[in-house]
Amino acid sequence: MSKYLLKPLAVASLLALAHPLAASAQDADAGEKVFRKCKACHMVGEDAKNRVGPELNNLLGRQAGTVPDFKYSKAMEAKGNDGLVWDDDTLSEYLENPKKYVKGTKMSFAGLRKETEIQDVIAYLKTFSEAAGTPAETESKAEEPAKNDEAAAAAEPVQTAAASDGDVLPKDAEVPDHGVFHLGRKALPDEVEAWNIDIRPDGSGLPVGRGTVAQGEVIYTETCAVCHGVFGEGEGRWPVLAGGQGTLEDDRPEKTIGSYWPYLSTVFDYVRRAMPFGNAHSLSDNGVYSVVAYLLYLNDVVTDEEFELSNENFASIKLPNEENFIADNRLEEPAYAAKEEPCMKECKPGPVEITMRARVLDVTPDSEDDSVGAGAIE
Amino acid sequence: MKNEETDNPRRNGEGLENPSRRTLLRGGVAAAGGAALAAGLAARGAGAAISQHADPLITDVQDWNRYPGDGVDARPYGLPSQYEKDVVRRDVPWLTADSKSSVNFTPLHELDGIITPNGLCFERHHGGIAEINPVDHRLMINGLVDNELVFTMEDLKRFPRENRVYFLECAANSGMEWRGSQLNGCQFTHGMVHNVMYTGIRVRDLLNEAGVKPEGKWVLAEGADPSLMTRSIPIEKMMDDCMVAFKMNGEALREEQGYPIRLVVPGWEGNMWIKWLRRFEVGDQPWQQREETSKYTDLLADGQARRFTWEMDVKSVITNPSPQAPITHGKGQTVITGLAWSGRGKIARVDVSLDGGRNWQEARIDGPSLDKSVHRFYFDFDWDGSELLIQSRAMDEQGFIQPSKDELRAARGTNSIYHNNGIQTWYIKQDGSAENVEVSS
Ligand code: HEC
Ligand code: HEC
Repeated sequence: MSKYLLKPLAVASLLALAHPLAASAQDADAGEKVFRKCKACHMVGEDAKNRVGPELNNLLGRQAGTVPDFKYSKAMEAKGNDGLVWDDDTLSEYLENPKKYVKGTKMSFAGLRKETEIQDVIAYLKTFSEAAGTPAETESKAEEPAKNDEAAAAAEPVQTAAASDGDVLPKDAEVPDHGVFHLGRKALPDEVEAWNIDIRPDGSGLPVGRGTVAQGEVIYTETCAVCHGVFGEGEGRWPVLAGGQGTLEDDRPEKTIGSYWPYLSTVFDYVRRAMPFGNAHSLSDNGVYSVVAYLLYLNDVVTDEEFELSNENFASIKLPNEENFIADNRLEEPAYAAKEEPCMKECKPGPVEITMRARVLDVTPDSEDDSVGAGAIE
Repeated sequence: MKNEETDNPRRNGEGLENPSRRTLLRGGVAAAGGAALAAGLAARGAGAAISQHADPLITDVQDWNRYPGDGVDARPYGLPSQYEKDVVRRDVPWLTADSKSSVNFTPLHELDGIITPNGLCFERHHGGIAEINPVDHRLMINGLVDNELVFTMEDLKRFPRENRVYFLECAANSGMEWRGSQLNGCQFTHGMVHNVMYTGIRVRDLLNEAGVKPEGKWVLAEGADPSLMTRSIPIEKMMDDCMVAFKMNGEALREEQGYPIRLVVPGWEGNMWIKWLRRFEVGDQPWQQREETSKYTDLLADGQARRFTWEMDVKSVITNPSPQAPITHGKGQTVITGLAWSGRGKIARVDVSLDGGRNWQEARIDGPSLDKSVHRFYFDFDWDGSELLIQSRAMDEQGFIQPSKDELRAARGTNSIYHNNGIQTWYIKQDGSAENVEVSS
């Protein structure tokens, strides 16, 4: 961050003196760092593929909404068809406030608040754009989305080569002695270890490791906040992770880790198994411990920034809503328990009236309001 | 009508691309999809009994009567007629943030019989569609077993096979309708169900091959996609009727449905039918995974939540007529048809009401009646052209009866999301168009 402290001033004075987009205000190296915020969704460089968002090679000079095989919003396609071409000016406006510049865009990203960040990231993207004059750096490898550096350093990879070569297996070994049909072969300890990553509420399955709230904040801000919001409030329609305590009986309950989830083990297990979305298995075990510690902090389950979560204290931490889960008792509901012969004639007192009509006649993509219907599919 | 306007800013939405909206704007008479359109035209051309002019479609030689069409090699994998191009799965983009963790819906109103064609089975993914070369696929069994084992696809195909027809319904099917009628079209209200004949092997045989230890009471099933989807399933169910399937309706599973293998958990919620299945772990307790705590638990009005609500309740829906499939022929002989199913067995009976549930008549079930499979019902009647409030109500062989939406809300509130099997009402107007409504009890 310190790197940016002086920059806004520089830009501010530039703004006063000259065109704000003067090339001198752009710094591709700094832009590479800014691009981390985009990596959860975008790739650039050789082998770049479409992810949550389209690949961003040769962006400068490209008509908006035109990467093949990427499913854009109607809004972005329309803008492109109306002549929107990505250049310094249009990118600046879009990245400052995507939803405002392309109303209805499905890029769920709040925007870059600092003008320097915008200019730097554009400079960085130019290095992958031939039309921008700077030829693409040929030796630059594909930027894999968001590999957390710090995490990677601490890491032993969670997942190792899943698909081993079938031929490695001893085909000519004696007929297996197990089971009825003698099919399959014995799993090797390394194989079981690689896939057996599930964790239970009692803590069984936890890897050895630790991480603090403060460490987790760094990882969370860099790798999770783009989607889940700085405070876990969820950007756009991405899931909300924090808050909502005391809302379960409300008209619109907010179900989060703190307000709803019964067990902490589920958070660890799920983050390690499936997050960050688009780049799962990129956090080290210590990275997961710290980000889970931070999620506890965001949910007020722990309040001390120095708090350290580890395999030792893990099982002692309870989530507030654990007691509120009950067994399936649907069949005790009156409608089922009765099991009566259904009524066939005059089952209602008088002529039947319409009490409610379909409220959503069209399923408008990216409507302003996210609360109706959203989350119904979970 | 009380809630109609309160909290829905979408009622004036600008998007006209949605089929249901278009249908309504055209008053429903012009018909929704290509099929209905073609049918409508044909009906008009034939002009019924009163036509004065000979029908040129009969008196003239048509192109297709004269010029040979494509040869045998033109369509190595056959696709539906060009006139059926609108018969596709559709999504509701605003439901989720990204299409890689989202859902689309089967066009129930375009189908008949009981089998869902492979390309129209609704999709629900949590990390996009995994593309796996079957040669690279492995299924592992670990945990409380005598031998932890690894199988290749070749191994799996050497176990004894069986063929079974089962419905798969997402527990969130009709989940948008808890607060009231929201979406116009049975594709959107009920389209997260499909019915397929699976070929595969018994999970029981696989687990026995590894040898389950006496303490083994639960099985965790895990997928190989980026969400590594997991669910805890009781061992009794796994040993009873669960399958590992590699074929659907005779051909290889579609990638969207978990190619090369998926778990089949008959009668139980669709999320448990792990796609791209790669592992069974045997344990003595459930694992409390995300999809059985944060999701797929049913919040009640008092703040408590039910968990492990696996069985899908008895349910039915009229698929035609419905908002996307209006009546286009005017009054007279009319076919009402729909689907009924129950996770607790066969369907014993389906009743249909034309007056919003005041009076009922038994419908006719036609086609195979199989355990935990959808049943097709018909109700043939002479429509006098007046407004109707049509409903269907299913009863399963265990005697459970599909409840009204009001009964469900009285028992659960409106925040349950899952397991909404309430009776659906379509309001048929005089012009034959249909709307999703709720009615007085
Ligand atoms: C949460 C995911 C996400 C993040 C984070 C994100 N984007 Fe996007 N981006 C998208 C999606 C999705 C689209 C497609 C938008 C549409 O179709 O409306 C998109 C579109 C774009 C486009 C238009 C591309 C085209 O082909 O027309 C540009 C440029 C862009 N993003 C730049 C960025 C930059 C730079 C960042 C980081 C500062 C960023 N995005 C962060 C998801 C994201
Ligand atoms: C590109 C967007 C994106 C990023 C980045 C991301 N997530 Fe997620 N997250 C999602 C989506 C989408 C889901 C829901 C997936 C599903 O339903 O299958 C989700 C679900 C979750 C959930 C479960 C929410 C619930 O209510 O069940 C947790 C916990 C979570 N993410 C944590 C994280 C953490 C921690 C990080 C950073 C290490 C992270 N996510 C990064 C998109 C993202």
